[in-house]
Amino acid sequence: MVAFKKRVSRGVEFAALTFPALLAIVVVVLVPFGMSIVYSFSKWNGLDKVPVFNGLANYVELFTNDPALLAALGFTLLFTLALVVLVNLIALALALALDQPLRGKNALRAAFYVPNIISLIIIGYVWRFIFSKGFDTFSAMTGWPLFQASWLGDPALAFVSTVLVSLWHDLGFYLVIYLAGLQTIPRDLIEASLIDGAAPLQRFSKIVLPLLMPSVTVCVFYALSNGLKTFDVILSLTNGGPGNATTSIALDIYTTAFGQGRFGYGMAMSVLLFLLILGITLFQVTVFKNREVES
Amino acid sequence: MKKVLMVLAAVVFVLVGVAVQAQSKTLSVLFYSPELQEQYNDMIQQYQKETGVKLDLTVLQADYRSVLTARLNSGDTPDIFMSSAYADNETYKDYVYDLTKEDFIKNLEPTALTGVTLDGKVLGYPFLVQSHSFIYNKKVFKDAGITKLPTTMKELEAVCVKLQAKGIQPFATGFKEFWVLPQTAWQALAPLPAAYNGDYAKFVADLDSGKLRFQDIKEMSTVFDLLDLIKKYGGNKPLESDFNDQCAALANGKVAMIHQGNWAEGTIRKTNPDVQIGYLVGPTADAGKAGIMFDSNQTIRIAKDRPNTQAAVAWLRWLTTSAYGKAWIPSKIKQISPIRGAAAPDAQLAQETSAMLAKNVPSYSWFYQRFPTGAEKDFGSFFQGYLAGQTTRAQTLAAIDSDYAKLVAAR
Repeated sequence: MVAFKKRVSRGVEFAALTFPALLAIVVVVLVPFGMSIVYSFSKWNGLDKVPVFNGLANYVELFTNDPALLAALGFTLLFTLALVVLVNLIALALALALDQPLRGKNALRAAFYVPNIISLIIIGYVWRFIFSKGFDTFSAMTGWPLFQASWLGDPALAFVSTVLVSLWHDLGFYLVIYLAGLQTIPRDLIEASLIDGAAPLQRFSKIVLPLLMPSVTVCVFYALSNGLKTFDVILSLTNGGPGNATTSIALDIYTTAFGQGRFGYGMAMSVLLFLLILGITLFQVTVFKNREVES
Repeated sequence: MKKVLMVLAAVVFVLVGVAVQAQSKTLSVLFYSPELQEQYNDMIQQYQKETGVKLDLTVLQADYRSVLTARLNSGDTPDIFMSSAYADNETYKDYVYDLTKEDFIKNLEPTALTGVTLDGKVLGYPFLVQSHSFIYNKKVFKDAGITKLPTTMKELEAVCVKLQAKGIQPFATGFKEFWVLPQTAWQALAPLPAAYNGDYAKFVADLDSGKLRFQDIKEMSTVFDLLDLIKKYGGNKPLESDFNDQCAALANGKVAMIHQGNWAEGTIRKTNPDVQIGYLVGPTADAGKAGIMFDSNQTIRIAKDRPNTQAAVAWLRWLTTSAYGKAWIPSKIKQISPIRGAAAPDAQLAQETSAMLAKNVPSYSWFYQRFPTGAEKDFGSFFQGYLAGQTTRAQTLAAIDSDYAKLVAAR
């Protein structure tokens, strides 16, 4: 009986303490989300007072008659793949390097993290300037063809530019997670492997990496979901151009809703994007979780 | 004690300040064209001085339409806002005040009212009369020995060849800006296919109904020819040139020509105050019909059924009839005013526009503003894709047609 009372009072306590946060999430996340699902079955130009319900028409168009979305989907998947692979490999390599007793490693850690503090919109504008005006000056100084190429005007190069800038911005965040992960690996295991005469590569693949899997899961998850919904850096760097070469799904949704005044259809696109991200990340987390080990 | 008195005095000041604030009227205003920020502020100060009414102004550019839409549908309606003319009359008709019966409307040039009138109702106030075409640097042309100004595509290309031989880049393209591309492109189509005899309303109605498709307009090949020409002679990064790049490069003589409008003059002159610039006519399929684009597009709109609606109308009346208001556009903004009998501005491009009109150089209205909402940005991106080699002419036209149909259906 006492135990039961205790359980009830703990339950009340729990509810009372989480209620404010829960309320905030319901009001600013869940309700708008529910509304956008409702609006996704309507035709609405954003200005009419009442949206017109049009059944599944938006979803039919989405799957049968939207080449622009298909192109955006292609770009987004490719961009995400490049980002996930590169950001994780480079961040992991850097974390391993910065985990060594290096001179000035704290300064280096800070240096890699700084871009992460700046807003992506601003980073986009800064790099836009560097790629056009900055590279012009470098090209005049050095004459290297690297600087003469049109980094934002050529479709293939523009893709590379968006990946590079995102990478430059994101790196610090993943670096910090990997560094923290490395700190949790027990020293005795490493020492034991040293005594047993394990080569550095063996030590990495048999001990460090398996124990680092929780960090890998988190990092890949973040990189996946950030890549799939990438928007701000592209808006300010290339605005989706040239043509639609760097238009991501999120940017396509934005121009469809606000530029063309097709809010209902834009909502349907967001629902699709949501399902896409949900599906891919759920799959990733399940697969990666299975590979985590206890030390 | 002294301290307490000081605090009390401070509190009194704050309270008085709040009371004064509450008494004076404030109108919320949402405008675009940040290049006019100084002139906007000057006008606002003068209006407050004369009437005590304050204008609370926000100026945006790239995301203007998104912000306006969000503010309108969330109920945070600005008392005064801007939009384009033509198609936007339909877009905002549920939100704007009908100015037809206001006394000061008769003070405006009737031609300037065409673009803001829907079904006989004047739904907006034409802000500026503007022109756009190719702008050239007179000194660069003279130094290159070009005396006859080009009027056809062939002559334009010959001029480019001559300039390039002298080591001068002919164009700064502006192709990075989504609005420069369609402006450049549609000017080549401005005389319209002969069957339409210059009837833009019918032309756009046929496009809207699907009776006419861009793929079937044979003059579209001229549009692509012109874009190709500008790209060919537009330096080694033609798709990275933006508005500021165009203005600066023209001003300091790095390039000879840009496609822009008279609004660019202020920015050009900031780089080089002594630059001499003028307009070239834009080549079209029919060689005899090359001209400039001349219209009042930027439109001021008053939100209806708001507590401040009448105060906002009073501001428009002041802008049209007061001494300062009448002089504001020609002498401060230095562009052409839509008010009857207004002074001519002291600006080279505006004067050149008037001179060309006086010499009966063809002038065309900004017919592409009749296309449905969103067309400007979408078509800009299609043309950009074509120039980047993503699509062929046929693919570009097909994309334009299918997008146009979707935009019409979304209305």
